[in-house]
Amino acid sequence: MSKTIRIAIAVLVVIVLAAVPWFGSDVVVQFGISTLILAVLAQGWNIIGGYTGYASFGNSTFFGLGAYGVGIAMVQWNLPFWVGMVFGAVMAVAFAILLGIPVLRLRGHYFAIATLALAQVVAAIVSNIPLFGENIGLVLPPLNNDAMFYELSLALLVAATLTVWWLTRSRFGFGLIAIRENEEGAAVMGVDTTRYKIMAFALSGLFSALAGGIQAYWITFLDPASAFDISLNVKMIIMAVFGGPGTIFGPVVGAFVLSAISEVLSSEVTNIAGLFFGIVVVAAVVLMPRGLADIVRHFRSSGWRYFAQNIRAHRI
Amino acid sequence: MSAILEIDHVTRRFAGLVAVSDVSFALNEGEILGVIGPNGAGKTTLVSLISGTLTPSSGDIRFQGQSITSLPAFRRARLGIGRTFQIMRPFPGLSVLDNVAVGALFGHGEESTALQEAREKARRHLEFVGLGRFADQRADELGGPGRKRLELAKALAMEPKLLLCDEVMAGLNHVEIDEVIDVIRKVRDSGITVLVIEHVIKAIKSLSDRLLVLHHGEKIADGEPDVVLSDKTVVEAYLGKRRA
Repeated sequence: MSKTIRIAIAVLVVIVLAAVPWFGSDVVVQFGISTLILAVLAQGWNIIGGYTGYASFGNSTFFGLGAYGVGIAMVQWNLPFWVGMVFGAVMAVAFAILLGIPVLRLRGHYFAIATLALAQVVAAIVSNIPLFGENIGLVLPPLNNDAMFYELSLALLVAATLTVWWLTRSRFGFGLIAIRENEEGAAVMGVDTTRYKIMAFALSGLFSALAGGIQAYWITFLDPASAFDISLNVKMIIMAVFGGPGTIFGPVVGAFVLSAISEVLSSEVTNIAGLFFGIVVVAAVVLMPRGLADIVRHFRSSGWRYFAQNIRAHRI
Repeated sequence: MSAILEIDHVTRRFAGLVAVSDVSFALNEGEILGVIGPNGAGKTTLVSLISGTLTPSSGDIRFQGQSITSLPAFRRARLGIGRTFQIMRPFPGLSVLDNVAVGALFGHGEESTALQEAREKARRHLEFVGLGRFADQRADELGGPGRKRLELAKALAMEPKLLLCDEVMAGLNHVEIDEVIDVIRKVRDSGITVLVIEHVIKAIKSLSDRLLVLHHGEKIADGEPDVVLSDKTVVEAYLGKRRA
């Protein structure tokens, strides 16, 4: 496919998606909002996890801070929604920078564990601060305008995806990839690894926070347990990895496909939907450990053998 | 000739082990200095201390007259110190070309180089080390000898003033060794000072202007290759006392 055709397809997809609120039912639009928000989260995780190679479990913390930014601004201070978005984003970025400095010294499993603890710690702190509504939570003024939430989420996803696209052709993005591929090798070639990792963490946190802000206003309620839900972080990782981490469209496609599967399962086989979803994820990891994007790249040359090769390569 | 690099009483200890012990020497601009020594003599540690992936326990390292002892690796890289790794550190998922482009993008610090321009530069460096036709392959598809050359191209793309080569000839056959020697000579002729660590004594003897011998972390000889290699303590260190 030539570059022009690919851009044309991407633009067309965005236009079709943007038109959904005008012909889709309420259920479809609501499904769309939650899927778009998950896609933003997966794409945000892609920056730190997919491109920089740091498997962050801290992104649900940024999501929560973004949600509380909107909650506090609107409920406690009577400020407009967008001020809350800015406030939440500032909190998340500041948090990413402050925590990134010590935490990003850790690598691999240790980094994952350290960030995993973050959400718990922050939830515990928030539960005790009156400004954050303690553990009772905050109730936001309702806004019955799903089309607006939908378009806002879509715009955010487009912004996140454009950012990732920019990464693949910028010096900054090359530095991040070099860090992922070999951090020591990157440092001796002049990459300021510490600064780049923190910037990637903050950028990833920025998108998570903005997604959290939209979610909070849409759901109109937030408490520490729902805002700092670690399973949300697991979800974004699964979606990004399912689609193809370190690719421009992989995490977005992963989020759409898995949300659709999950939606169908929970309406068809209500009780055991979780079980089937688990089977889908396990099958994906076994058959295509490098995600959908990798299949697209290699299926033409190896065909169905692609799956057999993966099974053999990973000795499962 | 002025000194581009000065190593001043540098010591590096690891828990209970002195890897580099009170080593001092100077490297003159435009020189090829060979560093030899048996396994575990502290050669790679020395390169890591100069490139900044390790910091000395004591002593001072000066580059172009400025102390770099407390600078992180990336700053030293931007000042003009390029290195290769004995255990190769390619970016496996990137193309061979982009591996080298990283050096062109970051070797000069913050001044921004366009990606296109960096790739063009990278292509020239790949041609220079003889990897031109592998440019579009993934780096992890290269064999051992190819990876050694890639290490060189990556370091050269930074356009360093000083190049540290950590066993770039290990595992190569005679023909390949001759080719690498040729490349390193050309590097020096282009005005880059070179420090070469090597196991293959024959190769390094013909290449180096000067030889430095490390043994148990200490400098035991430093001078003309022929003189150093016939030195009694050096022969003892390499072959054992009885044979000497």
